[in-house]
Amino acid sequence: MLPFLTAGPFSARNGEGRVLFNDVSIELAEGELAVLDGPSGSGKSTLLRQLVGMVPTSGVTRELSGEVHTDMQLPGWRSLVTLVAQDAPMLAGTLGENTRFPFSQRCAGTRVPDETELARLTQATGLAAIPEDRDVGTLSGGERHRLALVRGLLWRPKVIVADEPLSGLDEETAVRCFELLREFAHQPGHGVLCVLHDRQLGARADRTVSLAARVSVEAS
Amino acid sequence: MSSLIELGPLQLAVATLLVVAAGTISLVLRLGIERRLAISAVRTVVQLGLLGLILERVFSLRHPVVIIGILVLMTIFAAREAASRTSKSYRGIMIDAWLAMAVSCFAVGGVVTQLVVGVDPWYEPQYVIPLIGMILGNSLTGIALGLDRFLDHLSTRHGEIELRLAFGATRREALAAPLQDAVRTGMVPIINAMAAAGIVSLPGMMTGQILAGAPPLQAVAYQIVVMFMIAAAVAGGAMLVVLLAGRHFMGKDAVLRLDRLRTTK
Repeated sequence: MLPFLTAGPFSARNGEGRVLFNDVSIELAEGELAVLDGPSGSGKSTLLRQLVGMVPTSGVTRELSGEVHTDMQLPGWRSLVTLVAQDAPMLAGTLGENTRFPFSQRCAGTRVPDETELARLTQATGLAAIPEDRDVGTLSGGERHRLALVRGLLWRPKVIVADEPLSGLDEETAVRCFELLREFAHQPGHGVLCVLHDRQLGARADRTVSLAARVSVEAS
Repeated sequence: MSSLIELGPLQLAVATLLVVAAGTISLVLRLGIERRLAISAVRTVVQLGLLGLILERVFSLRHPVVIIGILVLMTIFAAREAASRTSKSYRGIMIDAWLAMAVSCFAVGGVVTQLVVGVDPWYEPQYVIPLIGMILGNSLTGIALGLDRFLDHLSTRHGEIELRLAFGATRREALAAPLQDAVRTGMVPIINAMAAAGIVSLPGMMTGQILAGAPPLQAVAYQIVVMFMIAAAVAGGAMLVVLLAGRHFMGKDAVLRLDRLRTTK
């Protein structure tokens, strides 16, 4: 079977010029939740950002369901392989604007937010009690992370690439949010690649990819 | 109408006493700015004196190529000044500032001198140089403010830009918010000036024309034209310079290149 998503080869150096990883390729199967593991400072975030094309890359091939996306088609690629970035960045504005803004961008076409799904997601993440017109500046760190996750799931890309989406959450909430991600990943035509701080939750993924191990394998 | 009262060396010497008075205040209150005040005062005399000499010469030359050459030189100086006023910078900021300045000033200046005022001949320096000079001086502020705000937005709110990109925003969509922010900021001074004109402040050019003996209503008409042309030049210049700068920080692949941002101060 053809892999669902393939991208690479990626290489990166840190600020001092030391090689973080070299010639790393990413493969993800359809319906798979994969966790990217590696010691801190090994370049996990950099690799995720390179995968979605948020930082300059060269000579990289990005392929989803057999379709190749060139560098000039990165906006389209990112709408299909969407990054839920580290530290849950928000637009200045209200909670509602933040969950819905992707649907006002051109790549959304005629798509509109699924209100039933939004209600289910906010319920499951414990955000249902917060009104849509609340300014996101007043949210706690944990609430922002849950909101970022809800936004990513509501957008329904093909693949969610999440960088520590569960940080700042208590154990119970983290488990519930992880279940939402896993449920999304297991649907046909979808997949999730994420970096998780919590090793115990990470162990419940379908597959763990170790960045450090891959680099040494490729280098030998 | 009364005619112009000429100022000679004696009158200027009396006026100098006023700057000396300002310097004395600085000394008494220990503001520590008397040195800068003195240098600025000398610069005013030297720069304006040179300008006066050049203008007297230019007005007598009356050759279109010379006039255009002077206008281009003026845009280069203005662009240098605008680019040096931002707290962040990038490679090519001078060229972008100059292009924006030149295009907006010549477009607006062309409309004003040729269609509104109807200068004859079209390069008549007595009209063309002061009018374009006023557009340059004001759009310089607008371009510098807009550019500074744009670069500041990129560096402090890049998380929001990348958030839009992460959900598939095109370059245009990702840069729309910083662009609006920048052009709005660049336009604030001229909007304030237009709102306050005649009530809080007597605009400089109008005051000058009245002093020179022009009928007040004629001076007012000129001032209105000047205000409107500055508004157009500022809006156009700020928008252009931000569009040019935006291309520098984001190519068609819509990758935000913050590594190209430099801090100057």
